[in-house]
Amino acid sequence: MLNINSISKTFNNKKILDNFSLSITKQGIYGLKGESGVGKTTLLKMIQNLEAIDSGTIEVGVKTSFMFQDFQLFPHFTVLENVIYASKFCFRSSKEECLYKAKKILQDLDLLDKISEYPHRLSGGQKQRVAFARAIMIGAKLILCDEPTSGLDFESKENLKKILFSFLNGESRVSFFIVSHDLEFLFSVCSETFLLKKPD
Amino acid sequence: MESIIETAFFIGKGVWLTLSLFVMSFILSWFLGSIMAISLHYKKMIKPIKIFISIFRGTPLILQLSFFYFVIPRFLFFRPSLFWASSFALALNGSAYVTEILRSGLESLPIGQFEAIKSLYIPRFYAWKDLILPQVIRNVFPSITNYSVALIKETSLISILGGMDITRLFQVISARDFTYFVPLCIAGSYYYILVILIEFFSDKIGKKFYVEH
Repeated sequence: MLNINSISKTFNNKKILDNFSLSITKQGIYGLKGESGVGKTTLLKMIQNLEAIDSGTIEVGVKTSFMFQDFQLFPHFTVLENVIYASKFCFRSSKEECLYKAKKILQDLDLLDKISEYPHRLSGGQKQRVAFARAIMIGAKLILCDEPTSGLDFESKENLKKILFSFLNGESRVSFFIVSHDLEFLFSVCSETFLLKKPD
Repeated sequence: MESIIETAFFIGKGVWLTLSLFVMSFILSWFLGSIMAISLHYKKMIKPIKIFISIFRGTPLILQLSFFYFVIPRFLFFRPSLFWASSFALALNGSAYVTEILRSGLESLPIGQFEAIKSLYIPRFYAWKDLILPQVIRNVFPSITNYSVALIKETSLISILGGMDITRLFQVISARDFTYFVPLCIAGSYYYILVILIEFFSDKIGKKFYVEH
């Protein structure tokens, strides 16, 4: 599903990734931990092709999508428009099918009463769920989450765990690759956790 | 009283030219300005665009108008009318300003928005049409109004080239009647009303675009 072969990256003459390799073959939830500033987010962005690699290769076998720390919803779109918009370009399904699918996902995420709200009216946890719905709608099978627990209270964190498992085991069969320094969270959801160390 | 109404009618015939010149150069300048701003965003043709902006912002508009009316036609097979020559000059001049307005608007968008668009696999054309430009236009709306108000007053420069706009007709009638006060007030009112109308409509459209963050 994901194969990272000895990649390296230098930022402003500072080596942040040196011959890093990692491989994911099975569906599941995977974590990546490490001190701040070691390049966890950079690695995640490289997988999504948002950041260039200096050397090495990244092979991605499934469709990925990136979940930003600040979600980056489109502020001039409602929740429903945010969720549906990108999927129009991915599938040849009709408008009704799209709408039906979006509403079903939003219902699972307990957002059905928010579909005509604008993002600025939502809480952090709700924005995050919209961002999940958006990624699921385009058919992503591997969702790259950048610090998903930042800014969430205990209850929202428990809720997030539930959401992750429901997508993992539900019909969409999504895998997650989570970057976080919340170790307690990583250990409670991930089937495997990788460590990113500072290069010597 | 009768002569005031006659003067108002006389100068009023120039409103159409002023307004059509404004609309034409406004549309053209936004078309050209958007292309240049998008091109700058993708780091394409930076040098030529920078030189273009520098020249058109660095020389007087009246010289540019004269250049497009008197000089350019010598290299063409036909002679464009004063209307088209000056629309074009105003549009090129305006596009230099519009490019800068849009560039600042683009820079105010978070990089994350562009990354989100990329990671949702949205085609480039639709991304610009539905996601980037609507947000940018919302951010720069006050500057757009500013630019429009300046532009409608700049159109008065074609009076020097003989275009029968509000300003030119004011000059004609005051030369005929040897009076300045009334024609001046009337010509000024016409411009003022046009500016008020622009502000009114941009306020309406601006509210439509406005979304809280």
